[in-house]
Amino acid sequence: MASTQEKITVYNLADLKNTSDDAIPNYLNSLKFSQSHRLTDVRLALGYAAFVVAGACFLWDYKLGFESTKYYTAAAVALYTLLNGALTLWIFYVEKGAVYEGTAPDADRTTIRITTATPSATEELRNTVLTRPFTEWFDGAGHFVAAPFQAMLASSIPVVGRLDPKRVAAAATETSSFESKYSAEILQALENAESAAEVISTATSVDAAATTTGTPAKKGGKRRKA
Amino acid sequence: MYSSIVRAQNSFGFFTTVVFVVASLIAVSDLLTPRAPAVGTLKTTNVQVVRGRPHYYSSKKEEYAVIKFSLDADLSSLFTWNTKQVFVYVTAEWPATPAVTGTPSNTTLNQAVIWDTIITAPSADHLANIGPAALKKLQKSAAGKSIDPSRGKLSIKNQRPKYQITHPSGKIAETDNVVLKLHYNVQPWVGLLTWNQDVDIGLWKQLKGGLSKKFSLPAIKKKADAKV
Amino acid sequence: MFSSLQNPRQAAAQLMNFGLILSTAFMMWKGLSVITDSPSPIVVVLSGSMEPAFQRGDLLVLWNRNLYSETNVGEIVVYNVKDKDIPIVHRVVRKFGIGPDAKLLTKGDNNLSDDTELYARGQDYLVRKDIIGSVVGFIPFVGYVTIMLSEHPWLKTAMLGIMGLVVVLQRE
Repeated sequence: MASTQEKITVYNLADLKNTSDDAIPNYLNSLKFSQSHRLTDVRLALGYAAFVVAGACFLWDYKLGFESTKYYTAAAVALYTLLNGALTLWIFYVEKGAVYEGTAPDADRTTIRITTATPSATEELRNTVLTRPFTEWFDGAGHFVAAPFQAMLASSIPVVGRLDPKRVAAAATETSSFESKYSAEILQALENAESAAEVISTATSVDAAATTTGTPAKKGGKRRKA
Repeated sequence: MYSSIVRAQNSFGFFTTVVFVVASLIAVSDLLTPRAPAVGTLKTTNVQVVRGRPHYYSSKKEEYAVIKFSLDADLSSLFTWNTKQVFVYVTAEWPATPAVTGTPSNTTLNQAVIWDTIITAPSADHLANIGPAALKKLQKSAAGKSIDPSRGKLSIKNQRPKYQITHPSGKIAETDNVVLKLHYNVQPWVGLLTWNQDVDIGLWKQLKGGLSKKFSLPAIKKKADAKV
Repeated sequence: MFSSLQNPRQAAAQLMNFGLILSTAFMMWKGLSVITDSPSPIVVVLSGSMEPAFQRGDLLVLWNRNLYSETNVGEIVVYNVKDKDIPIVHRVVRKFGIGPDAKLLTKGDNNLSDDTELYARGQDYLVRKDIIGSVVGFIPFVGYVTIMLSEHPWLKTAMLGIMGLVVVLQRE
């Protein structure tokens, strides 16, 4: 949990999401999940392949001029378009915002994939979908607080919960205790950003639907009044 | 929108998008403005061929055609809010003599501009490369008007050519089947450059007239009269 | 911000994003080159020889294919002269013959004399292959940035540096 002490701007949705995303592998890997980098590796391979094509095209264009190489250039442009198109499709239709893919160290070798939605989009996926306000795991100054975040994950995803039962137990009491630290304006700012904090877990071999703890988004608003 | 840099970036990005969209709309608006350019008369008034040198230090003597002409044309419909200038030019065109090549005679093989003029739209008058007195007169003619209805109306009589033309061979006397042709090139403030067209395209009509009768260049004039 | 650089995959991904921005810009330029068949499909006007039509800093879009007709008199072309670096944009005023060997003479609208003086020693006319494109589109003033950059080279370094930093340090 190296990023716990790092401070971010609470108005920057991308920062809120990225910090939260970065905390997921830290936590799950500490529970002895074995992380799979398949999605990232394919993305990197496609991206760098496209970059190499462009680099080669740049080199022969620079050395030999346009006229003598224009058919190769045309082919390179077509190939680059294909690779870049494949990369875009991969990001939108395969990765779909996945931030973690890994196998649990339990007997079933359960694999889980956690995807977080981009701040504006709210997409319903097949399995566990839960929407939580960022306020639950960021304090007013923009520090990430690991405990409630991990409790949220542990209580929502059954495989994680089985591996880390004490976080599940803590989940019920934890949030309300530090909530009082927030000032009213910060809460308002985070409230606006609430729809962003969508954590979606897709458990492939677990009947996740039965354990859904999808908290309605309105909950944050009620707490604020209290 | 969480820091000044991001705000500046976003504002600049939005600004460029708006400018690009507005510029595109202006460019497209050209297509919605009808064009009906027409030429009343285009005829030669005096044709001579003289001998001369391509430039002062040259010892080579070449034949030069000096074609005087009269022109009546109404190109005023080419001026819209997006017109910067109209470049009007008259070419002499003639086919190659059959002895030179075996190409079909209806293909124009030689084209040369003998006269041209730049007609600025009132919005571009300040850019015109003319003397201060002429500029004042030009600007006065269109004072308060974004489009001057008199722009593009040409009526010139017995005009001396700006360019005396020759052929790379140095021979041009007694050439047959020469025609004069009027062309124009509309220069927009933003968008596509357009030239006179041979067919109607949407609201843009083809140039009516614009072709003189065929004529022949005479034999070389006597040396006493030659001046280049 | 820098914590993301500790993870090699994330660092690679961020570097890739930066590389892809550059390479996509380059490949779009090359794509335009291939479509228009011109080594330089967009040029910036550097001189006033075509005023008032083109002024310094205007952007010209070129087309270098003869799909329907040959390059004819009246077209504004950009051509290269042997042993001279800077392409010239002037109007074709004479054309003798047809096909790739047709002899072309150019002149700037704002110049008094034709371009014979600008051509290489002993060259009286251009041929089609000297031309890298005919002007078909016009965007005013936008190219002035590049004139600024070439006249003040330090601006170029500064801009590239800032762009690089922003992209590397910023996710999404």
